[in-house]
Amino acid sequence: MLMNLFCSSPLLAAAAPRRGFWMPEQASTVSGEIDSIFMLITWISVFFFVLIVVLMGYFMVKYRRVEGHKSAASPSHNTPLELTWTIIPVIIVIVIFYMGMTGYINLRSVPVDAYEIDVTAQKWGWTFQHPSGAIETETLTIPKGRPVRLMMTSQDVLHSLFIPAFRVKQDVVPGRYTYLWFEASATGRYDLFCTEYCGTGHATMGAVVEVYEEDEFEEKLEELLRWIEDIPEERLFVAGKRLYNRCVQCHSLDGAPGIGPSFRETHELWGQERRLADGRTVTVDENYVKESIIYPAQDITEGYGNLMPSFRGQLRERELRALVQFIRHLDRFDDEGNLLEEWQ
Amino acid sequence: MSTLSTHPSGTNYLNHTRGIMSWIFTLDHKRIGMMYLCSVLLSFFVGGMLAVLIRLQLWSPEASLFTQDQYNQIFTLHGAIMVFLVIIPSIPAALGNFVLPIMLGAKDVAFPRLNLFSYHLWVVGALVFLLALVTGGLDTGWTFYTPYSTDTDSAMGGVIPALTAAFILGFSSIFTGMNFIVTIHRLRPPGMTWFRMPLFLWAIYATAIIQVLATPVLGITLMLLAVERAFGIGIFDPSLGGDPVLYQHFFWFYSHPAVYIMILPAMGIISELISIHSHKHIFGYKFIAFSSIAIAIFGFLVWGHHMFTSGQSSLMNVIFSFITFSVSIPSAIKVFNWLATMYKGSISLNTPMLYALSFIFIFSIGGLTGLHLGTLATDIHLHDTYFVVAHFHYVMMGSALLAMIGGMHHWWPKMTGKMYSEFWGRIGCGLVFLGFNLTFFPQFMLGSQGMPRRYAQYDDYLPETVQLFEFYHQLSTIGSLVMAAGFFLTAGYLLHSIFFGVRAPANPWGGRSLEWQCASPPPHDNFAETPTVGDCYDFSVLEWDEKEQGYTWREDVPRPGEEGTG
Ligand code: HEC
Ligand code: HEM
Ligand SMILES: [Cu+2]
Ligand SMILES: [Cu+2]
Repeated sequence: MLMNLFCSSPLLAAAAPRRGFWMPEQASTVSGEIDSIFMLITWISVFFFVLIVVLMGYFMVKYRRVEGHKSAASPSHNTPLELTWTIIPVIIVIVIFYMGMTGYINLRSVPVDAYEIDVTAQKWGWTFQHPSGAIETETLTIPKGRPVRLMMTSQDVLHSLFIPAFRVKQDVVPGRYTYLWFEASATGRYDLFCTEYCGTGHATMGAVVEVYEEDEFEEKLEELLRWIEDIPEERLFVAGKRLYNRCVQCHSLDGAPGIGPSFRETHELWGQERRLADGRTVTVDENYVKESIIYPAQDITEGYGNLMPSFRGQLRERELRALVQFIRHLDRFDDEGNLLEEWQ
Repeated sequence: MSTLSTHPSGTNYLNHTRGIMSWIFTLDHKRIGMMYLCSVLLSFFVGGMLAVLIRLQLWSPEASLFTQDQYNQIFTLHGAIMVFLVIIPSIPAALGNFVLPIMLGAKDVAFPRLNLFSYHLWVVGALVFLLALVTGGLDTGWTFYTPYSTDTDSAMGGVIPALTAAFILGFSSIFTGMNFIVTIHRLRPPGMTWFRMPLFLWAIYATAIIQVLATPVLGITLMLLAVERAFGIGIFDPSLGGDPVLYQHFFWFYSHPAVYIMILPAMGIISELISIHSHKHIFGYKFIAFSSIAIAIFGFLVWGHHMFTSGQSSLMNVIFSFITFSVSIPSAIKVFNWLATMYKGSISLNTPMLYALSFIFIFSIGGLTGLHLGTLATDIHLHDTYFVVAHFHYVMMGSALLAMIGGMHHWWPKMTGKMYSEFWGRIGCGLVFLGFNLTFFPQFMLGSQGMPRRYAQYDDYLPETVQLFEFYHQLSTIGSLVMAAGFFLTAGYLLHSIFFGVRAPANPWGGRSLEWQCASPPPHDNFAETPTVGDCYDFSVLEWDEKEQGYTWREDVPRPGEEGTG
């Protein structure tokens, strides 16, 4: 599903940093520091774990019960010893706490010149909007070496945005804004996950972060704005196919009902009456489909719940038209969404 | 003293009265404990089967066995059953009920009727929980996070029955806690000062305090949630003017202390097992006892560590991180004390002891990885990934649950009057131990590499990521099958022992707390007259009796309360 829409350049692969045993690639400026804290705690843990298990194993063998042998008398407490193994861990955890705190404060302090991207989460997809107005959903395109700040909110339930390669995560909460910042330090493609359980499509609510060098990034950004303008009006339905990625979780093309009705069904009803949940009927036309996308709660199709998120403000006018054309001309696509020969 | 007779003569609590009604409406703490035990084990079986389904689904990256919706229900049920029906009642309600009054030399708990009522509430709670399944299913996760759970269009229909069930189960837990607190305060026998109580009792006492203080908060929270869902009153849902993060505060204010409801009694059992099977006085009694209380108190102040990424203020995060570390210290103290207890002991590697050693191994890993999670900078990366899943399985399943299984083996002769096969017991423990580590250790790497929890499939990501996740998931699935085999074997030989086992002596392991001084199985009212106790970790007064196949009091040492003191 996560199609590589804006095909990445071969350069990306060559520069990609490597995964470690514990941690994924270090692709942001903070990942080095966070990994060293992680490894420090891990080695301290390994030390204590080995100490405990070796002692345990040794005692198990050395003092195992043999016939007629009684346990030797040994003191049943020893205050200096017990204080020692209280105080040493106390000192260690204070050090760990302090390092974790400074690392965290760093994660929360956004540089002033950060490049700002608006993020909207909804079941079950992300919308990323650049300052230029360019919008993307399957990818998050960002420049290398420039701090980026995500201003995030949710349209429905809790979600959480997680980019392992950058070591950042933040819940996305309806009704308030939360933020996240990072500075990518290596070009490449990285996973982006939703890590707060949000229902049916939680497991597939992902995207790919694409990091480009500054000049290449500007080009990609241009392309994000331009691609739909480059498609002539009479072929807008092709553009609609591309935007359909944001609907695929709930709307199929093969007639099978999902969380929402299949677009095949909507298409076949074009120009005819459609029954709504409240008993009214509407004519399926350009207007109805547009309304359905912008104000989905207004006309609930019979047999379905009020589960569709609103796409208001997340689709530009031309994109909206493209989606309408796509549903209207769905007979030009097969059930898998491939364009039929005669329309290519 | 006749009370200390080691020969089962005639009736015991099992055959004292007959008929199903004599069990369902019994006031005998031992029977109530046994009924809890059976119910908990049955729930464990159901939850365990669901766990195997989860693991099978994750064998391959695409959703192969179940749809996303089905999977979401399965993990929700698994989590809710294991937490509310298995681990929380397992040690206090099942083993605690059986052992606690006998350890006190009492005839029963302070309020036997309330005790029976707790059990009946448990059963009602479990049945109401089943209602959730037939009223539309439950897919919110055991945490019921808002606004997902209150949105009738998102979450499935069974939310309100499930909340009601958790509410009822909460009361069961509160009543048990109250009962134990009063019992420990009021019914200690002559000679048993606070610092002569077996450590298991200290642990149960600390647990009971948490049960009584924290569980009402859960009850109120769940009620608010139900009200919001049923009547659309805005409390947590931002579209109604509520605050979803507030719910998380309420929820974790209970649920963090709840993890200590699970682990404290487990630690209590381990203190008993290590000391008795090493035949050596427990080391640092007071440090262990106080650390139970310290954990119970600090446990109330750290709930915010579940919310580091929730959007709560950075200052709060820093404070919660700091206090979180304070709870790790008492845990560390206990581990060192157990090791020191083994030092120069005379260690019998019986099945219960093997479970206790497994506990130390597993709890060390679980507790130490708590450091990664309590540290702010690293928790941001690890939160809500499989690293957390691995951590809490190491502490809840590997530690709390295995301690309960160990305790069950330890008191099995007392409860049933039969010995199980030591040979198969060790093999079963070995399988469970290996299977457990193979299941959950790979999940640490899965999580630190980024795999989020509660994913029905993971095929939608970059190919290299998917490949790596698949590898670790497959290790984990294999481990879960090994573990399942271990549990089935265990169930097999334990059942076998009930029918064909050798008759158990009163004191097969050499324990000195009072339960080992009454017959196996104990008579209906435990002790004919209240016994007097001495230092319950001084094992020098016992010796192995070949004829009895168990330990008996040495002829040449007076019992406490008789001439001199023990
Ligand atoms: C989270 C699931 C979900 C997503 C994502 C989603 N929808 Fe919907 N959609 C629904 C549901 C449920 C309905 C039926 C209820 C309603 O009418 O609001 C629906 C109804 C519709 C209808 C009316 C169909 C009919 O036959 O009456 C249209 C048109 C529509 N959606 C378009 C879209 C488009 C275009 C997208 C992508 C940009 C999209 N939807 C994304 C869930 C979704
Ligand atoms: C020994 C010291 C311990 C420390 C420092 C510690 C720390 C933590 C932290 C910080 C988290 C939150 C992680 C996250 O969600 O990002 C966590 C999660 C958890 N811990 Fe611990 N923990 C410790 C012991 C225990 C014990 C003893 C138990 C239970 C018996 C336990 C059970 C859990 C559970 C159930 C969760 C996750 C709950 C969920 O999100 O569903 N922990 N622990
Ligand atoms: Cu999600
Ligand atoms: Cu916690």
